[in-house]
Amino acid sequence: MENRPFSDRLASIRRDFLATGDAATALAVRTAQVDGLVLEAAAELLLPTAPAGLAVLAVGGYGRRQLFPYSDVDLLLLFDSEKLALASKDAIAGFLRHLWDSGLRVSHSVRTPAECIEVHDGNIELNISLLDQRCLTGDRALYAGLAEKLPRFIHGNRGPLVRNLAQLARARHAKYAGTFYHLEPNVKEAPGGLRDHQLVCWLDQLHGARDGPAPELEAAFRFLGRLRCYLHFQSGRDNNALSFDAQDGIAELWRAGDAAQWMREYYRHARVVYRAAIRALDSSEAQISSLFAQFRDWRSRVSNADFVVHRERIHFRAPQGLDVEPELALSLFEFVARHGIRLSLEAEQRIESRIAALRAHFAEPRPLWPALNTILSLPHAPLAVRAMHETGVLAAIFPEMERIECLVIRDFYHRYTVDEHTLVTMQNLRNLPAGYSELLAEVKQPSVVMFALLFHDVGKGVPGEGPVDASVRLARDAIARIRMPSADRETALFLIRKHLELSQVMQSRDLFDPRTIRDVAHQMETVERLKALTLVTYADISAVNPEVMTPWRAEQLWQLYLAVYNELTRELETERIEAIPSGPPERVAFLEGFPTRYLRTHTEQEIDEHMALEEKRRARKSPHGAAVDVRRLEAAWQLTLVAEDRPFLFASVAGTLSSFGMNILKAEAFANRRGLVLDTFTFDDPLRTLELNPTEADRLRVTTERVLAGKTDVRELLRNRPKPSLPSRKARIPARVSFDSEAGHTATLVEIVAEDRPGLLYDLASAISSNGGNIEVVLIDTQAHKAIDVFYVTAEGKKLGPEKRTILAAALEKACVGA
Amino acid sequence: MKKIEAIIQPFKLDEVKEAMKGIGIDGMTISEVRGHGRQKGHKEVYRGQEYNVDLLPKVKLEMVVPSSRFEEVLKTLSAAARTGKIGDGKIFVYDVAEAIRIRNDDRGESAL
Repeated sequence: MENRPFSDRLASIRRDFLATGDAATALAVRTAQVDGLVLEAAAELLLPTAPAGLAVLAVGGYGRRQLFPYSDVDLLLLFDSEKLALASKDAIAGFLRHLWDSGLRVSHSVRTPAECIEVHDGNIELNISLLDQRCLTGDRALYAGLAEKLPRFIHGNRGPLVRNLAQLARARHAKYAGTFYHLEPNVKEAPGGLRDHQLVCWLDQLHGARDGPAPELEAAFRFLGRLRCYLHFQSGRDNNALSFDAQDGIAELWRAGDAAQWMREYYRHARVVYRAAIRALDSSEAQISSLFAQFRDWRSRVSNADFVVHRERIHFRAPQGLDVEPELALSLFEFVARHGIRLSLEAEQRIESRIAALRAHFAEPRPLWPALNTILSLPHAPLAVRAMHETGVLAAIFPEMERIECLVIRDFYHRYTVDEHTLVTMQNLRNLPAGYSELLAEVKQPSVVMFALLFHDVGKGVPGEGPVDASVRLARDAIARIRMPSADRETALFLIRKHLELSQVMQSRDLFDPRTIRDVAHQMETVERLKALTLVTYADISAVNPEVMTPWRAEQLWQLYLAVYNELTRELETERIEAIPSGPPERVAFLEGFPTRYLRTHTEQEIDEHMALEEKRRARKSPHGAAVDVRRLEAAWQLTLVAEDRPFLFASVAGTLSSFGMNILKAEAFANRRGLVLDTFTFDDPLRTLELNPTEADRLRVTTERVLAGKTDVRELLRNRPKPSLPSRKARIPARVSFDSEAGHTATLVEIVAEDRPGLLYDLASAISSNGGNIEVVLIDTQAHKAIDVFYVTAEGKKLGPEKRTILAAALEKACVGA
Repeated sequence: MKKIEAIIQPFKLDEVKEAMKGIGIDGMTISEVRGHGRQKGHKEVYRGQEYNVDLLPKVKLEMVVPSSRFEEVLKTLSAAARTGKIGDGKIFVYDVAEAIRIRNDDRGESAL
């Protein structure tokens, strides 16, 4: 309990601080207390061993007399020689032990003056800590020698010192995703935190700047300092994380009202600090780098009639132009979006000073969409939108955005405020992994996707209304104001309305259930919308926090996209291959007239195999000749046949397979214009007949060929088929037959959902054929006991008329129940 | 004590969590995994190219429950995770020798 006296002393600081909220006094008192302790310990334990040749220096925050309640106490023990330092080893140990026992967390280093004035690339902290040193006790002459050399050292080594410091700061910013809009920020380390405030001071010092920090920066420092003091006292340790609990505690303690509202004040201060830090970093780096200067000159060539690029920043050529022509602001951000160069401080200030006029100008409905469309389509659009947000221009054009400015919505996963989340979604859209980035390239209007992202969450700022509905409503108003054309408007509103749809499906629906996919496809309507919504979903999920889009989740979204894409392109089933761009003539002749889906669903090798099968068929020269192939797949069997089209063909093969006790899982039928049919049946062999009796596969092939040639009657075969075992009545799936004449261009889509049973496909196909229907394409899927069969049917080369549909529906319903 | 490890369909996670909460089981570890059992994966076609989807996304749940409750937990879990189709997943049960709460060294079932 040796440290009790010290914690008692902290307790009194704590009491005063909580009562007054005065952090400056708390830091000063704490520093003075620690000074007293260190002086006492040094006098007793350290200096008697080395009365000369040793000085004790306070460095870092302690050196600046800004020692937070539970911060480390940084000491530098300056020895005039290594020999003396070595000789004092035991004394140093005793001295430090005493301080630790007193409750201080001491962090110390032992150096000679020579070591203090050399650049330590691997330990830049040592160099930087010396910027804030002061002598506590010991050999004053020794210290004076160092104090004299330090300014010269700093001046002479400004380049490497700035470079190292900047590198450290950039890495720290990257760790926090380069934003200060964190829902639970670290008030010391995060961008816009105390460390950034110090960074500005250090860089000023390195460049020998004399005028102190700007008043708004000082105000931010006082605000952040107060927060950090509170966090330390509240948790009793060096804790700098402003958690939701801490936010509530502070709001209550200082009667600051609603915590979320109060946090907006935090973001305002953090923004001041972060912008100052970035500016200081940029200008320091520019000053020290000659390579950079070359790049800068090169960049300046992009200057145009309105804007000039100087030192890697955009300036107005004629700042007063903004007063005459407010839309010059849009040209400015288009310039940012095109070249990826940031605004100069002067340009920012100019815009900010004219923001009221800009607001008034943009409040009138104006055709702004062409200009916004250009900005949002350009490669650096996210940077431009961020700059628009920071200067207030975004809110001037879209006052809806104010609702989400610095808005905190507390939930376990979200890491950023709503406005920052929105900006991150836009960045994510320009930073997509393989696959997704190709989707973006295929989307016709990426600017509409960007617009949808900009508005997707604005509704979160509307209390008492569903957030999605509110977003759609606000976007609709904004769209009307900027006069977005109706086609783009519909897409944008669709994307906003559905922006949660795909993630909800991923979370709560079976992606391998064809029904799920059909539902989603139905909602998407077009491949174009599906692509855009997939991108919105990817960008939105990844902007929740940097870890949430795991490869696992990205893959799930891709799976969903693929399945829905395939479902949607089924609509093209009846489109025919009209011209084959290249290939040998027999290949062209073979492929011509097949549905385009045939090409999409078969590999080159499979097409070659199918052509070989057709060769075989032609070699037979019999009128009803067919060629059949039966082979084993990984988890099932497959029968492929090539034959001349005729009624009942598909039904006959289905029947033959059933008679062998096979369970058809999937079937596809393709017919080309010359009347050639290519069918594949994927089937299950529940009794392992084919596997255990190698000759059976051959018998199946021969039997199918005989059936197709009219030599064997399929009805005869079916008479001998094993009786099916039906599931219990309770588990039965009611049969459903539906028609869709819109799905295909030339055929009617007939979808049948029914209880699966052996021979079902045969019965259905027979019902279609015996009612004069011609099966163009078939897609069969079986899920446990449920069969989902889709037929594209024509009658006399046309879609089915209403009469035909009624008759066929009755026949199919009968077939479903095996009646 | 028993450790229950369940591999389930991702879309069943919310339902299972709710069901567990319903019987007072709150603690569990959840991981996103890939794998396949008898449901061998499938082929997807995208623009004429075939994609083999041989490892399917699943969610793994792990929880340790008192022996007295584990039958009830199993029953609830499998009922909530079931669709009746291939791919519903599996549940594995292990005996647990000891449980220790690191914070205060509680041992046995009181550490759960």
